[in-house]
Amino acid sequence: MTTSKKIVLLGHFGVGKTSIIRKFVTNEFSSDYKVTIGVHIFKKEVPVTTNDSISLIIWDLEGTDNIDLINKAYLLGTHSFIYVYDITRPVTFSNLEENVLKLKEKFPKTLLKTVANKIDLIDDINDEKYKDTLQKTDYTSSAKTGENITDLFDSIAKSFAL
Amino acid sequence: MSQQNKLRQLKELLLHEDRDEIALLQEKIRELEGIIEKQEQLASRVDPIIDKKLKQYTEDIPEKLGPTITESLKNEIANSKDQVVDALYPIIGKMIKKYIQQEFKILSDKINSQLQKSFSLKNWTRKFKSKVSGINEENLIIQELAKTEIQEIFIIEKDSGILIANFSKANTIDKDVLSGMLTAIKSFVEEAFKTGNDSLESIEYGLYNIHIQNFNSYYFAVVAHGVFDSAYKGKLEYELLNFAEKNLTKGPQKNISIKLTEYFNNDDL
Repeated sequence: MTTSKKIVLLGHFGVGKTSIIRKFVTNEFSSDYKVTIGVHIFKKEVPVTTNDSISLIIWDLEGTDNIDLINKAYLLGTHSFIYVYDITRPVTFSNLEENVLKLKEKFPKTLLKTVANKIDLIDDINDEKYKDTLQKTDYTSSAKTGENITDLFDSIAKSFAL
Repeated sequence: MSQQNKLRQLKELLLHEDRDEIALLQEKIRELEGIIEKQEQLASRVDPIIDKKLKQYTEDIPEKLGPTITESLKNEIANSKDQVVDALYPIIGKMIKKYIQQEFKILSDKINSQLQKSFSLKNWTRKFKSKVSGINEENLIIQELAKTEIQEIFIIEKDSGILIANFSKANTIDKDVLSGMLTAIKSFVEEAFKTGNDSLESIEYGLYNIHIQNFNSYYFAVVAHGVFDSAYKGKLEYELLNFAEKNLTKGPQKNISIKLTEYFNNDDL
């Protein structure tokens, strides 16, 4: 049996939301940056048991530094949010806690995962300057190398199967 | 002096100027021959270069002159709209006329073909309907030919945009992605215009019409082809309400897609 679930990716401009999705859905990566306008929708089916699978309907929203500006209707009915930031640009995670709190307040029952993307661009992940932020982050990822991308979506899909 | 010498001297005296002229002409002929010969030599060397340049120039025209030509045309059209319209009017008029004639021909052929099937049950039913209703048979045939056909029906969860059920005559696009996109478009329009509780009710493209009918937690999106007039819309709304009442009042149930197909597979509403 297949069940559909809505996943929404949020975060600042250029943090790699679209790249993460493309890597997961089509296993492709391009360094050419094409800004997302409005919303794009992707789909991928993830098997969770021998007979069951979860069809992830992934909503790729345009980047914004203020989640209050997102069309509220885009967020309604979401089963899981993925909040993405760029580990190399502090401005993209300066309001991480604030945005996470807002999402949790508005959608208390919705699963939320935070992702530090572009991990391939930093020399030392254990560097002190990243410590605080990474402690508040669920996943580190690289859309370029594919690191943790499948794990991220698989874990979300499996959490729905429980 | 001999007779011969006298004759030669006389010739020299008489033909002196002619000889000079002949010498001059010969000189000019030699010069011309030289020029022609040189031109041929030159041409054999220069022509390939010119040909190559010309070829390159021709290839580069769209790139190098395209923007200039487009800009000039834009300006020219902007500055002389009336003249452009006057010039294009008869051409476009003829094209439209030809298209309409062609469409009428197709329609006429279809009507004839329908009438020729005089022994079919459908034809006898139509004749009977014509007699009873008072509408002439040709009008009934035109009505049949312009019939609205439902191509696809989606039942979509209002908030998430997740597809609950679907009936489709053509498996062209991913239904889940389409449902999401329809919901995103609907949400965008409704949010952008912020007109209270109003909601998007239809989207038109070409000969297709997407009719949207909202319910509390889900909505129907019906893709129809053909004439989508208010009478058809009314019937469709009634049938969707009827279907929802029978199958969706207790929340999403199993096999809704099968029920939807059974209910709407017949083109007659």
